[in-house]
Amino acid sequence: MTHQVALTVLAKIKPGETENLKDLLRIVGADVEKNEIFPFVQLSSVHFARFVILDEAKNVHNQSIRPSLVFASNVDAPLGDHLTELVTHTGEGLDRIYSHCEGYPGPGQRTPSSRLNYLRAHMVPSQAFYVNTLGRTLEQVHQEAKLRDSLEGILDRQQAEHDWSGWDARRVRAAIQGFIKEQPDLRWAERPAAGLTFGWRLKERIRFFLTLLVLLVLIPVFLLVLPIWLALLRYHEKKDAAEESHLQLSSQTRGTLALHEDHLVQNQFSAVGNVKPGWFRALTVRGLLWALNFGFRHIFNRGILTGVDTIHFAQWIMIDEGQRILFLSNYDGSLESYMDDFINKVARGLNAVFSNGVGYPKTNWLVLEGANDEQAFKAFLYKHQIPTQAWYTAYGWLTARNIDNNAKVRAGLYGEKEEQDAAMWLQRL
Amino acid sequence: MESTMPDLDLKDIQGLIVRGYGKLEVACYILLEIQDGEATRRWLVTLADQITSAETRPTHTSLNVAFTNASLVALGLDAETLATFPNEFTEGMTSERRRIILGDHGENAPGKWVWGGPETPPVHILLMLFAVDEPTLERFSESVSHGFSSGGVTQIGETLTSTLLRDAQTGYSKEHFGFNDAISQPLIEGIGKSGSPANTVKAGEFILGYPNEYDLLTERPTVRAQRDPQGLLPEHPSESGAHDIGSNGSYLVFRQLYQDVGRFWQFLDDVTRDANGNSDPEAQVRLAAKMVGRWPSGAPLVRTAEHDNPELGLENDFGYRDMDSLGHRCPLGAHIRRTNPRDALDPHLGPQKTLAINNRHRILRRGRAYGQPVSASMRIEDIMHADTSGDRGLHFICFNANISRQFEFVQQTWINNPKFAGLYEDTDPLIGDRASREIRQPSVFTEQAMPVRRRVTNLPQVVDVRGGAYFFMPGIRAVRYLGSLKPAPHDIPLPPDAGRMP
Repeated sequence: MTHQVALTVLAKIKPGETENLKDLLRIVGADVEKNEIFPFVQLSSVHFARFVILDEAKNVHNQSIRPSLVFASNVDAPLGDHLTELVTHTGEGLDRIYSHCEGYPGPGQRTPSSRLNYLRAHMVPSQAFYVNTLGRTLEQVHQEAKLRDSLEGILDRQQAEHDWSGWDARRVRAAIQGFIKEQPDLRWAERPAAGLTFGWRLKERIRFFLTLLVLLVLIPVFLLVLPIWLALLRYHEKKDAAEESHLQLSSQTRGTLALHEDHLVQNQFSAVGNVKPGWFRALTVRGLLWALNFGFRHIFNRGILTGVDTIHFAQWIMIDEGQRILFLSNYDGSLESYMDDFINKVARGLNAVFSNGVGYPKTNWLVLEGANDEQAFKAFLYKHQIPTQAWYTAYGWLTARNIDNNAKVRAGLYGEKEEQDAAMWLQRL
Repeated sequence: MESTMPDLDLKDIQGLIVRGYGKLEVACYILLEIQDGEATRRWLVTLADQITSAETRPTHTSLNVAFTNASLVALGLDAETLATFPNEFTEGMTSERRRIILGDHGENAPGKWVWGGPETPPVHILLMLFAVDEPTLERFSESVSHGFSSGGVTQIGETLTSTLLRDAQTGYSKEHFGFNDAISQPLIEGIGKSGSPANTVKAGEFILGYPNEYDLLTERPTVRAQRDPQGLLPEHPSESGAHDIGSNGSYLVFRQLYQDVGRFWQFLDDVTRDANGNSDPEAQVRLAAKMVGRWPSGAPLVRTAEHDNPELGLENDFGYRDMDSLGHRCPLGAHIRRTNPRDALDPHLGPQKTLAINNRHRILRRGRAYGQPVSASMRIEDIMHADTSGDRGLHFICFNANISRQFEFVQQTWINNPKFAGLYEDTDPLIGDRASREIRQPSVFTEQAMPVRRRVTNLPQVVDVRGGAYFFMPGIRAVRYLGSLKPAPHDIPLPPDAGRMP
């Protein structure tokens, strides 16, 4: 049916308005679904969304960066429909929130189209965007969760009455199909999920191969540049290692930040940090984020990222003319387990990107060490994590792994199956 | 970064960290509140001489001691040093954040605790006494408590006693529900007997100052050299100008866990009745074993799925991946599969890598049962039908070098996580959180099976937290150092509950 896209809107906050805006967003965050200001449930294609305030900060030259407001959402395409909903369904909420920001239309000039123009003018691109499973829409996630609940209910009720232990798998499956067929509101399950359209997949495939072709052609150039780049990298790594002191985890007191995380099922993470000064780091980080995004878009888009199956969406966004990177993610489980996954499973990829950030634990050859210094890495994340004022999830009780399993339950519900396949399908319940 | 096996400073390490004192059959735990820091410091100097170190293998009595953050404050440890302790220890077990992580709400809320909670006196010092028999323990604890009043400490509540529950036939250790217990313990690399590499964990996971499973040194507290003029503490090996108050120490987690034996077996009886409504004791034991992951004898279900086999009672050398990846033998959410997932933790990774990750979340258990068993025979058939009034359970005690990455991780990500191993609404069937507001029914137990799973819902809460605290168990030199503190007037913070979270 459709793929998923990220919308990120970044607006500078008017001088002296940051605290007022925080107060307002506190009301939104307290009941994120149904608050009177900005009820997120009215947005029909949103998987996850958040408002984050970036407080006033210093850049690497110790100059002040003014505070800004970030709105970020992960939605089903097309983006235009999402924007339309934002400016109509939640238009008044946008007005109340963005009246604290610079350049927002004045009270008499607030119309859907003026709001839309404002959002479009303040949109910023994600340099890298990770989607757990491309093409799985919000509707599909909700429907398949409901299907799974119905199936479990059927099993509970049937097993209370009969002992199925002697049955073969195909007989159990047929019985289940019979019960589901009786439920008109689950008729959709007889068809496979829509998935991505053929045209879209073809376009992506062509883009993938064309890009590979270009990269192939450029190999001689890379080979020429590589030694110089490596020499520069080593020079910078040595210089950075000498300048940076070791971060202590015990010195990262977390205050109220900690109380807004560690929900049982899903959590969000927002972090911001300065990119190390100089053109070398600026170029390197842009190149790496491009490569990362290429991998996310074309390769790691089916539920698992080199062993990590707990991330729903993640974004890397370069802001303030490339001086800072904003990282936003929606993940499953505790922060401690999320950080451990980083260290145990994706340390090299993270090192490559985050080592261009100020204060990151010392790396070697871009990908070595870094996150492997467990506690220093955790201290780095704690240091750069910022509070998310309002966070919305459309399916907070489901992990990415649950969602994936639900999809496979639906996919295998109908159609011919051999005994062995039917048995494996039943194990998903 | 290859590290060679470190020589452990056994003289300085407190004995309980490296051995459970199996020969010392009786034990008691005394909680103390400091009333007069100066007197307590003097008392600690003499107490330090009585602490049993890891070097000796006591045959008669043994004494170990541990401290909460509040006690370090009361003893006059300076703010700069206190700030080098990890946040979870500094906050304590009952801070808002720790409660969320540990799932301590509902029946487990600290407000209901008999000790360590916000309504009870602040816990400062934990004295742990062990002896070969009751009379010896009685004499020993009397002589130790003799020093309390001159030592400026008062005892909080009753002494926490322990009971040794044994299987009448095999002599193995039991817990109150009737199962063999304390079978799976990580082996500390470089100490004592060697075993399978999968179950051997680096000393630094349990003792500060030695390489951990990342081949790094876990952060540990330090003292500025000027604050240790007598040089009681060793110099810090890597930080110049710092003395090492953390090395050879460990963090001790204490939780008093009440076990409702009657409710446990009543529930099993209710859900396993046959078509005529009659009790089916065999089915009860079978379901209980599925919940635990071992049979009452201790035999792991992975090895013997259909019936108990006491010959496998101490079996601990097994994994899940090859024999039971789907959980048909030992359910995915069974207690022992959650608390130590072994090679099944992450099916996406190879078994070696999985085990390496698993072993970054191990704890060293040193707890003991308390209260009278419901049946002296400790036979399941008797336990099922016994009168279950009375207070009994487990004084859960464990050691770890990093409370967040070890104890709290196991509690939050494995025990109380309804999504563990791809599940949906299950938490640990024995000790899992039943009061979460985020999950619709956090009280399901799923038994994976052919052709399709069975499950029981509305699991009751059969284990309640009744007390608890995070302690630091310092090396013996560091105990002497605490006794030697001479806080400058502005360093003395008291009142005695300073450092507790509101």
